[in-house]
Amino acid sequence: MSGIRYTLRVQDLAKKFNSTLLFKSISFSVETGGSLCVTGPNGSGKSTLLKILAGIMNPTGGAVSLAAAADIPPCDWMNHIGYTGPLVNPYDDLTGLENIQFVLKSGNYASRLDSLLRQFNLTQHRDKLVKHYSSGMKQRLRLILAVLNDPPVLILDEPGTNLDAGGREALSSFLDLARKQKIIVLATNEPGEEKLCGGGIRLG
Amino acid sequence: MKHVINIAMKSVYVLMPVTIVMAFLWAPPAELLGDYSRIIYFHVPLAWVSVLAFVVSGILSVIFLLDKKNRFSGLDGKSFNSAAIGLAFTVCTVMTGSIWAKLSWGSFWNWDPRETSIVFILLIYIAYFCLQAALAGKSSRGKIGSSYLIVAMATLPFFVFLIPRIVWSLHPETIINVNRTIYMDDQMWITLLTALISFSVLYVYLFNLMNRIMVLKHRIGEHPHAAD
Amino acid sequence: MSLAKKNSAEEGSVLVRDILRNLQKDFRVEFRSRFAVNIAVSFAGIVTISISLTAGGAPFPVKVQSILLWVVLFFSAMNGLAHIFVREEDQGTSLFLRITRSADSIYISKFIFNQIFMMIIGTVVTPLFVFFVGVDVIHVLHFIMSVIAGGFSIAASTTPLAAMAAKAGGKGSLFTIISFPILLPVLWISISSTAGALNEARPESGTVIFLLAFSGFITAISILLFRFIWLEN
Repeated sequence: MSGIRYTLRVQDLAKKFNSTLLFKSISFSVETGGSLCVTGPNGSGKSTLLKILAGIMNPTGGAVSLAAAADIPPCDWMNHIGYTGPLVNPYDDLTGLENIQFVLKSGNYASRLDSLLRQFNLTQHRDKLVKHYSSGMKQRLRLILAVLNDPPVLILDEPGTNLDAGGREALSSFLDLARKQKIIVLATNEPGEEKLCGGGIRLG
Repeated sequence: MKHVINIAMKSVYVLMPVTIVMAFLWAPPAELLGDYSRIIYFHVPLAWVSVLAFVVSGILSVIFLLDKKNRFSGLDGKSFNSAAIGLAFTVCTVMTGSIWAKLSWGSFWNWDPRETSIVFILLIYIAYFCLQAALAGKSSRGKIGSSYLIVAMATLPFFVFLIPRIVWSLHPETIINVNRTIYMDDQMWITLLTALISFSVLYVYLFNLMNRIMVLKHRIGEHPHAAD
Repeated sequence: MSLAKKNSAEEGSVLVRDILRNLQKDFRVEFRSRFAVNIAVSFAGIVTISISLTAGGAPFPVKVQSILLWVVLFFSAMNGLAHIFVREEDQGTSLFLRITRSADSIYISKFIFNQIFMMIIGTVVTPLFVFFVGVDVIHVLHFIMSVIAGGFSIAASTTPLAAMAAKAGGKGSLFTIISFPILLPVLWISISSTAGALNEARPESGTVIFLLAFSGFITAISILLFRFIWLEN
């Protein structure tokens, strides 16, 4: 991991759907090594905020910027951000490994891939079609897909959904290791995951 | 400035009657067609305004898509309005055109290349309204609708200029000539020009009216009690 | 200067690599279900054979043969051409694809997929049709060129509309409704071009050129527009 420090800065963010205001004037900034937890009741806009941070959705007002040495243009964000959420569905008709190969940027991550598969306990299922996966296995695959290319920014929407105790264990130990070198933003209502984060925002 | 535009738009109240009087009373009848030829003063301006409205809706769509900071509001709605006017005028063009066809060629419809082209255009814009209906309530409505309008505008030159030529080369027997070789004197030209101007002003007038209605509807929707 | 050149070359090779991987993925998914191809080919077969059966061996006029050929091609292809985008929405994979690949690479790979799909339909349907309906092709080269150019135009002009229809929820016949008017001139010109190949008279090449120009033009515009259709706001 190189020593480039990234900054994710949010200024005065607001989002409206048609005419209902979801949230407004959200401002914060996180640097590499920092982590942030977004909490709030259902429907308070956690997922929307994370989508805006990941550059998938445009805010109604305000701005998000991601900067390393210089500002990174939004079209390039997808190379720096690992995002996953309940609506990110891998291809059902591909095996777990084929989905991973579809996301994999270069061959250099082969050893990392093996350790991730072991860590999330998917090694023996990697050649099964995803449609035969259980929902917990699918969630593990989602997490692997998000962190696979070692992005400096991780934006995880409800990462613990459907995971069993072992899965949660693997997730928290992974995040614990990763958070020193990355920016991590989580949306969750799990007290255990909230504790992993340095700071928090409460919506709603 | 706004005042001037307002007066310019109000001039439609004078221009339209003047056009009608000129078309029916002042302009002389054409040699070949007699009094039937007076329909040209309505048919040609209607066709012109249709194309104008479609091009305006296409250009507004381009601006809408490029305007990331939302500097202009409601451009997608405006391009929708312009397309709606364009569609209404196209229907009128088809009707006046087929009356003229009946009078000069003997039948209401005979798939002359220009008639074919206008049917294609009509269908394309009807499809646009189907698309808009299917997208109702979705946040992507403006973007997808605008993209379709741009594709539609891009195909216009093929229909207006290219198809009549290609089909001409395939079907040299097509019955098209009378309206192109028609002899027009100065009085007729002036009448046609006046008609073109007043129909264009009519378009601007209608367009402005529809946009104002849209803004008002939007305002009522946002604050349900603002109307009391 | 040289650095910038290197960067753009690198970007180009990344784009090509991404397109190839998208295509590999699309073909894998398609051939595991074989949904689109199966439906299209069986539809074409059934319609062609029923036309031949009901005609009972009586030869059609040249114009009718050419109209029937394009009606069969059009309706066989229609379902499959939208499928490439509708599937991403139906299976909920569009967000995954959205965060993994650039819009340009997605559009180009879907475009190539649809072109290949259309070519498969064309190569299956046309010989079948010629054989069963008893078409007497006089200008073989022009006939083949017309079918290729017409198929190319159909795939090129429906790909952006498929993306729109999929984003609109892919409701029932919306795709057919919005693409038919844009395709009508393509079909019309293709029909006269094919009819020209079945006639004694020397066929004109202007129709083929029109079809290629039209599809090139639509494709150029749709590459520019696709990011607006594809990206959420």
